[in-house]
Amino acid sequence: MSNQKKRNFQIEAFKHRVVVDPKYAEKTWSILEHAIHEIYNHNASGLSFEELYRNAYNMVLHKFGEKLYSGLVATMTAHLKEISKSIEAAQGDLFLEELNRKWNDHNKALQMIRDILMYMDRTYIPNTHKTPVHELGLNLWRDNVIHSSKIQSRLLSMLLELVHRERTGEVIDRGLMRNIIKMLMDLGSSVYQEDFEKPFLEVSAEFYMGESQKFIECCDCGDYLKKAELRLNEEIERVTHFLDVKSEVKITNVVEKEMIANHMMRLVHMENSGLVNMLLDDKYEDLGRMYNLFRRVPNGLSTIRDVMTSHLREIGKQLVTDAEKLKDPVEFVQRLLDEKDKYDSIISQAFSNDKTFQNALNSSFEYFINLNNRSPEFISLFVDDKLRKGLKGVSEEDVEIILDKVMMLFRYLQEKDVFEKYYKQHLAKRLLSGKTVSDDAERSLIVKLKTECGYQFTSKLEGMFTDMKTSQDTMQGFYASHPELTDGPTLVVQVLTTGSWPTQPSITCNLPAETSALCEKFRSYYLGTHTGRRLSWQTNMGTADIKATFGKGQKHELNVSTYQMCVLMLFNNADRLSYKEVEQATGIPASDLKRCLQSMACVKGKNVLRKEPMSKDIGEDDAFFVNDKFTSKFYKVKIGTVVAQKESEPEKQETRQRVEEDRKPQIEAAIVRIMKSRRVLDHNNIIAEVTKQLQSRFLANPTEIKKRIESLIERDFLERDNNDRKLYRYLA
Amino acid sequence: MPPRASKRKSAPPNSSSVTSSDGRSVSSKAKIKGLEKIDRLFNTYANSSLGMIDPEGIEALCSDLGVDYTDVRILMLAWKLKAEKQGYFTQDEWQTGLKALGVDSLSKLKKALSDLEKEVEKPSNYEDFYTYAFRYCLTEEKQKSVDIESICELLNLVLGVQFRPQIDSLIEYLKVQNDYKVINSDQWINFLRFCKEISFPDLENYDATQAWPLILDNYVEWMREKHS
Repeated sequence: MSNQKKRNFQIEAFKHRVVVDPKYAEKTWSILEHAIHEIYNHNASGLSFEELYRNAYNMVLHKFGEKLYSGLVATMTAHLKEISKSIEAAQGDLFLEELNRKWNDHNKALQMIRDILMYMDRTYIPNTHKTPVHELGLNLWRDNVIHSSKIQSRLLSMLLELVHRERTGEVIDRGLMRNIIKMLMDLGSSVYQEDFEKPFLEVSAEFYMGESQKFIECCDCGDYLKKAELRLNEEIERVTHFLDVKSEVKITNVVEKEMIANHMMRLVHMENSGLVNMLLDDKYEDLGRMYNLFRRVPNGLSTIRDVMTSHLREIGKQLVTDAEKLKDPVEFVQRLLDEKDKYDSIISQAFSNDKTFQNALNSSFEYFINLNNRSPEFISLFVDDKLRKGLKGVSEEDVEIILDKVMMLFRYLQEKDVFEKYYKQHLAKRLLSGKTVSDDAERSLIVKLKTECGYQFTSKLEGMFTDMKTSQDTMQGFYASHPELTDGPTLVVQVLTTGSWPTQPSITCNLPAETSALCEKFRSYYLGTHTGRRLSWQTNMGTADIKATFGKGQKHELNVSTYQMCVLMLFNNADRLSYKEVEQATGIPASDLKRCLQSMACVKGKNVLRKEPMSKDIGEDDAFFVNDKFTSKFYKVKIGTVVAQKESEPEKQETRQRVEEDRKPQIEAAIVRIMKSRRVLDHNNIIAEVTKQLQSRFLANPTEIKKRIESLIERDFLERDNNDRKLYRYLA
Repeated sequence: MPPRASKRKSAPPNSSSVTSSDGRSVSSKAKIKGLEKIDRLFNTYANSSLGMIDPEGIEALCSDLGVDYTDVRILMLAWKLKAEKQGYFTQDEWQTGLKALGVDSLSKLKKALSDLEKEVEKPSNYEDFYTYAFRYCLTEEKQKSVDIESICELLNLVLGVQFRPQIDSLIEYLKVQNDYKVINSDQWINFLRFCKEISFPDLENYDATQAWPLILDNYVEWMREKHS
């Protein structure tokens, strides 16, 4: 502590009392050099860390950092060169072990050296921008050992050799591999990539190219895919065990390219085992594997999808154009449903519900269902069959499932209005013959149709149900007000509102006396409460239950059509009747009458009449008698109910014509609607808009639309623009 | 100008100013005289009980003019007169028309007919004349279409000279097809556009998806089938 005299005080840094010993640096350095030697020779225990640190510290302090650093470099390099030689000397498999051992040694040594030289690391090195000790140690190792000419290539080929061995099924020392690879990574990512990864990927590509070639020649598709999957998983696992995680995506790309992408088409189209076969045989596992593998490569999924689509369309086309299969409409539709179910399963189980595949499925179905223009009719017949008997005893949920499936087919139809027409016809027959299995099921389907197509589509159908209900009430009222009639024949009348029911030509025949009197009473009763309405009897749509006693006293109750009743009742007053007599007495039109007589005289088990001659067809000169020998197991015998059937050619033509006629006003209404709001529109846009508006019912034909436009022009709803011929104008 | 004293017996007072076809106003005395001559010419051919020229009168006029009754120039005359009813010229129409032509005698009328042809052929007038030709055939009240036969004749008359090959072919088609028994004005006007715009006989630039009437779509299809 100095006294406080006013002198110029200079505080100087504490200087070590050092003698300017020119050999100071040399001496200090050799101490350190010796230490490094000892460290490398595993003799570090005898050293004093503190002393060495101090020495290094002093050197840097006295500005001998340069000497220290370059000395370090030289010493370390020399040692590494020796190490390199000893590694080179190692034989065979011991090479890697030796390398690994020496690397560990080097790291330990480096650690110690770095600790000793820490002062230099923190001061001299940053100031002079030299490489820090640790990094220096790694670089020197890299340059002198790894990149030494004798070691570099040998190292690489050993590593690749091991990988190859593992690929061929041998067990290798994974720990050793991991260490070596880690060493390369520690030396820098470029070292890892250049000295290992790049060549590794190249060799792997070659390997897999060869392997895939071998497999594809001898395996079927399913097996090949199994092998590919195996290899892929193997490589992934290998990466997690001893490679840089960043290599995973690179090696999987190689496998994907060589094993999958390069052989994609061949696999998919492989005979007897390719995609189509898998689809046909419902091979979910194989399909799922294919999906998972192919989704890894570009265009993989789209390839699967395209092949599936064209296969589906092919099958579908065959289905709808095969004349054999078309003989039974119900079978036909069932097969469509089965096909859809099959592919729904495939997509959900093997293709993980991929939406694009769903879309492909839908578009394929839409394509081929509409190839056959009878599809709407057949679907309606299918529904009819189900609602008549198919759904008997089926639980409510299952009913819903079946109806939903039907709706799904319905959605694919382009000509929904044709379906509507047939559905109405079939529904009418079901309602009037009382042959519907479940009212709830009927209503449920109507609701579904309403949800799909709107109120307009189903309003008439609902009207039909209403009429049935109202008729029931009417009948109750009728009998309530005519109690004297309860003893006679029971009349059940369904009053149908003309607009809601399918139009039928109404031809009345001559009813037997008992019936016609009753009918007249009903007519006056009804018109009494509903003035201003007109009733016309639809005798071609009714049924009758009549009790008959035959020659040997056998009694039966016959359920027949109204026409058949008229014919049979004649025989109460005559034993023998000729065809002409029957025709005259009943007034039934010829073709209906022939069918009617045929069903009663020529069908086994229903032959309540006898015909002379006994031919199959009804001739104009035939004579009819009651068949006194008629027998049947059952008391109640059903003869010819009015069942909905596939239409005959002329009927089909007629229905189609009616549909076409109905479309005309719909097209016109659409045109007027559009023009009213747009005022002026050009030709192409009108066609497009009209088509869009009518899409939910049918596919509008541009020529038909044009015809309607011209008709509207003629009737002054529209006009053409004077200057631009393509424009139409709405005339208010 | 003070109102003129009318010397004519049957003609109603004509209050519109009279101009000749080149737009110059004629002096009143000349007007009266011109009008007289026109009226006299009118009366030569008019059916006195009807008060207008009837088909017979037109026939007579034609023979005097030296043209055939079915000559297109008579149709052009009708157009110029803005005649409403086929086969008849009212006095009003006669007067207005002849004044517009600037003629008041038969000989002048004869000469004017050839000028009339040129006038009609001017693009600004042609379409008007063409549309008129159709309307002229609508003889009944509320009639909107003309039967095929008459249409064929009319096409021949009106377009035959300028578009001979198209018209011949089109007429052939119209006679064999069954879809249309009559032609309406919309279809008629499109016949002209067809002739003007579509190259013939290859019909290369015809596009059926455009706004052409269906009858022409069918015609083109028929043509293409014929030539394939």
